[in-house]
Amino acid sequence: MSSPLSPRAALMFAALALLPLTPWMSKYYLLLAFDALLFGAVAMSLDLLIGYTGLVSFGHAAFFGLGAYSAAVLLERGVTSLWLSLALSLVVVGLYALLVSYFATTRRGIYFALLTLIFAEVVYTVFRYTQAFGGSDGIQGLPAPSLLPGVLIDTPARNYYLVVAYLFFAYLVCRTLVSSHFGRVLAAIRENEDRARFLGYDVQRYKMGVCMISAMLTGLAGALYPGRAAYATPDLLHWSISGEFLIMVMIGGLGTLVGPIIGGAFFIVLQEKVSSYVQWYSIVVGLVLVFIVLFVPRGLLGFRSALRLHGLGRGAP
Amino acid sequence: MSRNGALLQVEGVSKSFGALAALTDVSLTVSAGEVVSVIGPNGAGKSTLFNVITGLHGATGGRVLFDGQVITGRAPEAVNRLGLAKTFQITNVFPGISVYENVRVAAQSRTPEAGRFTSLWRRPDVEGAVMELLVAFGLEGRRDEAAQNLSHGEQRYLEICLALATKPTLLLLDEPTAGMTPGETRDATALIRRMALARGLTLLLIEHDMSVVMGISDRVAVLHFGQKIAEGPPEAIRTNPQVIEAYLGGVDE
Repeated sequence: MSSPLSPRAALMFAALALLPLTPWMSKYYLLLAFDALLFGAVAMSLDLLIGYTGLVSFGHAAFFGLGAYSAAVLLERGVTSLWLSLALSLVVVGLYALLVSYFATTRRGIYFALLTLIFAEVVYTVFRYTQAFGGSDGIQGLPAPSLLPGVLIDTPARNYYLVVAYLFFAYLVCRTLVSSHFGRVLAAIRENEDRARFLGYDVQRYKMGVCMISAMLTGLAGALYPGRAAYATPDLLHWSISGEFLIMVMIGGLGTLVGPIIGGAFFIVLQEKVSSYVQWYSIVVGLVLVFIVLFVPRGLLGFRSALRLHGLGRGAP
Repeated sequence: MSRNGALLQVEGVSKSFGALAALTDVSLTVSAGEVVSVIGPNGAGKSTLFNVITGLHGATGGRVLFDGQVITGRAPEAVNRLGLAKTFQITNVFPGISVYENVRVAAQSRTPEAGRFTSLWRRPDVEGAVMELLVAFGLEGRRDEAAQNLSHGEQRYLEICLALATKPTLLLLDEPTAGMTPGETRDATALIRRMALARGLTLLLIEHDMSVVMGISDRVAVLHFGQKIAEGPPEAIRTNPQVIEAYLGGVDE
């Protein structure tokens, strides 16, 4: 079995690890990089469903938000262990994903997407109106989590390294998965799920499996969020977040894993930078996204091959 | 194996879609090692019979036994895992992935990893089995081509490769030569026969074209308006007046 880490991916992670050593990485940029990589990782997990299996989930905000609330509830009670937060988010998100995927995978196409959306809206509503979870304010003023007793993750640099470590882990999981036996079946399901059944594959089980893996990776990302932001609010569960995840995957490039990481990072940085200059930033962001979809339909990672196709890039015939 | 070496027993199967009776009390037995064909004019119920056998449709009446086990009402994937594979009348492959990947995903369904937790990270080695099939069907030069770029004839062969890669004991072929030229049909028929012999396969064919089945079948069953009107060796079927009537006379064709 070949290594799941290609030289190019290894180079990318080495660069990410060295990034804080460069002089221009202020605390502000470290936190921006945290968000960029965290949402990039979520987009990559979502790509397992969209790009590799052909399932469009419109409810990933629920997985992310449930992970965040799992961590926030523990932090609020003074349980600061990061590992307990991660474990609780895996259990909570795993159980919820089992329920959602069991029902959603009985339907195809737009109905699958709608079921994931409806379940997620229920979760949003529950957290938005339950006072035990702070209602619309969410859970605020949380302490920093601890990696080990006494080792707090309380600086932007530490948070940054935490998210790089998580991204590395999630990337290895996704890369191993898509090239495994399981991953081959996912591609077959994407291409022709009826035929996959006649080859002896229980298609629903495979779909549920990939939904749960994608959801739990997203939940882990969510569990890292309160440590950086010191809060968890119902906004994290809102359907518009699910929509942003979809956009990140689309602009990064479907079925590439690295593409959605870049797409997520690009989206976060673009939004942050434009909004610091103008109030009507969403118009600018929207225009940029429309431009990408129209002119780089295969996503940012497909940009080079698009250039080559038009005889513009290096190695053009 | 059950009594008399019967591999497949279709016992009094009926299937209606609402008021339409697609199959009425059809019985058919296929013994291990046989080549049996089901023929009949368009709309005679041949494909419906296959769909009931392979688990796509339930039966309204009667039952189907495979290797002594009742399989009516089981899902297609469960039926396939028992060793019953099917090819489709309309080519049904995985269009966007390579020819090699097509056959690989079929072949790996019979490895110990299938359906297990270890499938999440393991990559079973099925290279030998895949290449053997690709060579047998002359597709080895096309292994890295996306399936959708193959010619019609090549896609028909890929279709058969997918079914064979699941190592069936009984192979159901639904008009395997549909859309082929007479020359291609002859080659394909000979190839299928050779593969069946080499692998000890039992074959059940659906054919629209009577001339195709006569050369390779041990027995032929004739369906007409959802009922079996004749069964016997090819020569007897060719001269059966009821069959001639079904094909040439009446309202049909």
